Amino acid sequence: MTPNIFEQIRNIASDLFSIPVERITAETSPENVEAWDSTQHLNLVLALEEKYDFQLSPEEMEKMRNIGEVVKVVENKIQAVKN
Amino acid sequence: MSIVIQPYRPEHESAVQEFNTRLKNGGAASDLVFYRYAMPRWLPQVEDSHLYNEYFVAVDDGVVRGGYALKHQNFLLPDGSIRSIGYYHHPLSEGIVNNSYAVIGSFLLKDAMNRVPLLYCLGMGGYDNPLPKMLVRLGWSHCAFPFYFKVVNPSRFLREMQVLRTSPSRKLVMDFAALTGSGWAALKTFEIAKKLWSPRTRESSVQEVEDFAEWVDSLWQKSRSEYTVSAVRDCETLRLLYPASDKHFTRLRISRGTEDIGWAVVGERRKDAKYGSMRVGSIVDCWASPENTLPVIRAASDALKQNGVDLIVSNQSHRDWCNAFENLGFIKADSNFIFAASKKLGALLEPFEEKKMRMHFTRADGDGLPRNF
Repeated sequence: MTPNIFEQIRNIASDLFSIPVERITAETSPENVEAWDSTQHLNLVLALEEKYDFQLSPEEMEKMRNIGEVVKVVENKIQAVKN
Repeated sequence: MSIVIQPYRPEHESAVQEFNTRLKNGGAASDLVFYRYAMPRWLPQVEDSHLYNEYFVAVDDGVVRGGYALKHQNFLLPDGSIRSIGYYHHPLSEGIVNNSYAVIGSFLLKDAMNRVPLLYCLGMGGYDNPLPKMLVRLGWSHCAFPFYFKVVNPSRFLREMQVLRTSPSRKLVMDFAALTGSGWAALKTFEIAKKLWSPRTRESSVQEVEDFAEWVDSLWQKSRSEYTVSAVRDCETLRLLYPASDKHFTRLRISRGTEDIGWAVVGERRKDAKYGSMRVGSIVDCWASPENTLPVIRAASDALKQNGVDLIVSNQSHRDWCNAFENLGFIKADSNFIFAASKKLGALLEPFEEKKMRMHFTRADGDGLPRNF
């Protein structure tokens, strides 16, 4: 997990879900964040696409089951775009 | 789940039928069906056309789990440019009957946004429905465009208007008003008062035309600068939207002397349970410069009255058209005609609260065509 990307995603999630950034961990997920519903999941996806200038597929959106998985998807995507 | 959203092709048609069957068996409302055929019957894509529909389906390992439609159309924007805008409509997800597929709705919308960033929705049945709720939370610019109605036959209106007859006491009052003529008297008094106070306009003449012709183009060009946003309403577009072969619509050409001042399209709506057995006419679409809105609406309204409708309805957004409706005795009611613009489109409409006053959206731009007729 690239520290920089993890921090960036924590900040995005903190804004979106109105949670202090210190409380966002790799395990943060819709199961433990009430505000993280399907619409907010879409908002998260759109925010990531805007920040990193790529497009996420439905499959990638589905893989993002917690913040840790979000980071993995974003890292893989950035790598794929570079290649 | 491994969802891929792709253009709806003929090989998907049987899977779409199965999808529609699952929706029906799951208890979805009977009008919630996705298009049976991959090729749009209304506004299919033809070479060089700027106005066309496309359908897309969400496929999960060969099984269709949802779909949506996109209408592409040229729009005038506040900076005076003409650009293609997408109208996102008829999204359907298996999530409405099976929570395992609740995410499909957001996949569909995101796919549309990726394909056509300048996107809008219009209609949607009101803010209480899932799609407008999602769009508001996604930060789309939004508002409700006014709904107007005029009662032509008060007695039938009072007896048949189901949405008002919501309690036994209300039904009693309305039946009493219908029987005694007091309802008729009240509505007529309102209409006469409005007419007395409405601005005077010069004489105009109305002609019903079989088809739109090039005279429409000069009207479009002359008045377009009075609008911040409008679908391009030139001859080519109107012939596609209201082809002469479609007898559901009446096309009106309004003139003053030898000068064309506007046009309107009216039609009788399909039966709808909320109107009971009333015949409901709709002012579907219209165009004029703002100082000529009143004679155009008067012509449209008269044409529907002559056709014997009991009630006339319309949705309008531009303040001058709204004023014309009100001056002619139309009543403004609660609207479920919601407009929402994607963030990318919304950025072109800023400041939205100001620009929306001179946007021209009618029933024709939303979910009314063609299914309401």
